[in-house]
Amino acid sequence: MSWVVLGLAMAALGCGRRAAAPAAVATPVAARPGTSTLVLFFVGEQGRLRRESREVAELPAATQARVRLVLDELLGGSRSGLASPMPWAVTVQAVFADRAGNVFVDLSAPPQPSVAGTSAELAFVYSIVNSVVANCPGVAGVQLLIGGKEVATVGNIDLRRPLAPNLDVVEP
Amino acid sequence: MRSRSGSARAIVRLALVLAAAPLLAAPGLAVPVTTPQGPVEVAVRGDLIDILALLRLTGAEVGYAPAAGSFTATLGDFEVQFTPGGSLAVADGRLLTLPGPLRQIGDSVFGSFGTASALLTPLGWSLAGSPAAPVLDRTVSRERLILTVVRAEGGVMVVVGGTTRRPRVSTAAGAVTLQFTVPIELGAPLPHAEELRGAEVAGDAITLRLAPDQEVASTYTLEDPPRFVIRLQKVQPVTGVVQQPHGPVVVIDPGHGGEDLGAQSASGAAEKDIVLAVARATAARLQAAGITARLTRERDEAIGLGERTAMANRLQAVAFVSIHVNASPARSARGAETYFMSANASDTQAAQSAARENVGASEDAVQLILWDLAYVANLNASARLARTIQERLNALQDIKDRGVRQAPFVVLTGATMPAALVELGFISNPEEAVRLQTAETQDQLAAALAEAIAEFVRTPGADAAATPAGTP
Repeated sequence: MSWVVLGLAMAALGCGRRAAAPAAVATPVAARPGTSTLVLFFVGEQGRLRRESREVAELPAATQARVRLVLDELLGGSRSGLASPMPWAVTVQAVFADRAGNVFVDLSAPPQPSVAGTSAELAFVYSIVNSVVANCPGVAGVQLLIGGKEVATVGNIDLRRPLAPNLDVVEP
Repeated sequence: MRSRSGSARAIVRLALVLAAAPLLAAPGLAVPVTTPQGPVEVAVRGDLIDILALLRLTGAEVGYAPAAGSFTATLGDFEVQFTPGGSLAVADGRLLTLPGPLRQIGDSVFGSFGTASALLTPLGWSLAGSPAAPVLDRTVSRERLILTVVRAEGGVMVVVGGTTRRPRVSTAAGAVTLQFTVPIELGAPLPHAEELRGAEVAGDAITLRLAPDQEVASTYTLEDPPRFVIRLQKVQPVTGVVQQPHGPVVVIDPGHGGEDLGAQSASGAAEKDIVLAVARATAARLQAAGITARLTRERDEAIGLGERTAMANRLQAVAFVSIHVNASPARSARGAETYFMSANASDTQAAQSAARENVGASEDAVQLILWDLAYVANLNASARLARTIQERLNALQDIKDRGVRQAPFVVLTGATMPAALVELGFISNPEEAVRLQTAETQDQLAAALAEAIAEFVRTPGADAAATPAGTP
């Protein structure tokens, strides 16, 4: 069931020209009773995001709590040896959700003012955005806040508004 | 927008809370809060006041989500979310930075007088008076605008502070009007400046009257603190002819610069130096081919992202190419890729908005439609520019083709011409890092970029953008 929702969400919310491509969505796998199957995005060998599925205890329905658990799993790292997209020891300080389907995730501030390298920055931003949208029904966009503040960018990606998931930076 | 459908229930709830509140307040640890129904004791801890109690006094329903650790106060159609320990809140989809942190003490949440006021405002209530004698009342708030005038090369900037709201801008001959969504007032007299003839506030709008020789060049926002800027310039003579005396101009943007090194190799080579060398060589080749090429930076200096596209807009460039070198946590990642602006709806909206502001386009409906059409045409042309660049790079030896992609880059937002961002290779890959630093590789890359840009400029596609009439 959760995979159906995930598939629909990613198909509907993905970047324009990829949105209609069902191949971009992982093969549905039914979760066992009392569990949920998460799809998280880590860094593959060529620097693009790669999906990793894992089974976790059933996720809460409430958006904010669900987002926190998804991010806890993402920040906890890959279980299949994929690289972490996090450029620093990121922690989640707060999560907010509005009624329009946007989630605001406040992350701890980095030691350096920016993230070097477009691939590194895209992996950082969209590992979070894609993971949250893929696993949280009703969430359409994610805005990253850093150190309790809205930021324009941590490099060159525009963070001034909620971002929709981007499948262009994900391995096919 | 505001619904008062729940107002009757809110009044009943308020009455119940008012009746119960005195019983809940501990002697000596409370202040009398003046409310429309009379004084009510509200708990305090030092300089902090019980925010949940204040919210409930407005009639708001306050809920707590234990798993998320956040509170939600709902009053009618309005909602505020906040988390103890933080100083952020979300009110009706807008992010608020609170004056101070929220602390959970016992079953309630305490914060400073200012923090309490900030959380009450989105619900239509205000907290006035003093921390010792607060006055809680329904809001008829007016945002107090503070206008300052800053002189800079090329004109005067009127900086509007005192509000986080972004106004709609409309221009008419000799005037510019900022339309806010709440009533406003001037917090200080209009600064004296020969470029300004006066200011008139009416409800939620302020109109600045300009000197006869002045016009709005552009408007934009600044962060931290939030400010809105109107850049004025002397009225430009209307020639009706595009001012490109030397043929088409392209703007080449070497990424980063100054203290911003960009990505670095293991040996310390900096992205900013590699891309400057490639950009210079690209520009030289374009010039030799009869195409005017300008660099956003000629040397190792820091330039803001917005300034880079603004320069291209000012020059009415026919193409904008931002040159970068990539890096990834995956050390084996290699190859070149080219990006153009994301087609995501919100990104598109942002880009359109930025583009209009950068050229000072009016909010006239016909003009907006023309800009939308031009933007879509530019997006298609940007895709063609990116494809042309990527194809030329792919023809070079030892270049892995990573394709053409889309993402919402700040440096591409607001470009009013076809724009692309190229990543020449991975400085985080040890082999590519060595190659990217050689003069031979840099020259090959520059030749490929120059050929691609020249081909793009000289081969107008079916996507050729129609610039809105009347824009410079």
